[in-house]
Amino acid sequence: MAKKIKITNNIRRLRFFSDEMTQQQLAEKAGISRQTVMAVEAGKYSPSLELAFLIADAFGVPIGEVFAYEKGEDL
Amino acid sequence: MSYQEKKTGISMFMGVLILIAYCIYAFGQVRSGAADFNDLKFFSATMMIFIGIGIAAMIVIQVLFHIALSVSVAVKEKCGDDKKIGKAIEANMVEDEMDKLIELKSGKIGFALIGAGFIAGLITLLFNCPPAVMLNILYLSFGVGSLAGGAMSIYYYRKGV
Repeated sequence: MAKKIKITNNIRRLRFFSDEMTQQQLAEKAGISRQTVMAVEAGKYSPSLELAFLIADAFGVPIGEVFAYEKGEDL
Repeated sequence: MSYQEKKTGISMFMGVLILIAYCIYAFGQVRSGAADFNDLKFFSATMMIFIGIGIAAMIVIQVLFHIALSVSVAVKEKCGDDKKIGKAIEANMVEDEMDKLIELKSGKIGFALIGAGFIAGLITLLFNCPPAVMLNILYLSFGVGSLAGGAMSIYYYRKGV
């Protein structure tokens, strides 16, 4: 049976360690809107693999450092 | 409020205005006796006119909205550098995968309502209602469907997808 997974992220922490990069700056670097950065950071939107790579690339870190997942209950 | 939310809100506002204007005009004409309720030609002509007005008004409103957005960005940036302002405006208007997903999801709801309106229109014919009833239900369901789609877009932007 499929497991429900929860995707967590370290975007806020990574922004802090990137000279307190603003959401707008991250959005510009990744080529997405600030609205999307806000939603991903708040866990309201799970990005596609492509977008996840773009965000990781904007920080210059591997994708696993930005996103992680927690296994949940069966669906 | 993001650019996309504002854009959707303005489109919804225009949609409501056009819908209200149509109802006031078309049913006002029928009530005053200037047009017959069974006159399909009158309703189809009125609907086409209002669709045209809607498209023209939407274009004008979007142009005005972009001008207002550019001015507000220029004021925020507090500089006269056109390149910087242009870049900031572009950054505001970026459309990415989340926007597309929201558009798709809210569009589905809009289409469902339009479909429901079509079924409701067919049912009115089954009950021997005048064809003008069906035509009006169809027209109004298009309006309501697009409004519901817009409302869902704003909901998804606020609550997440």
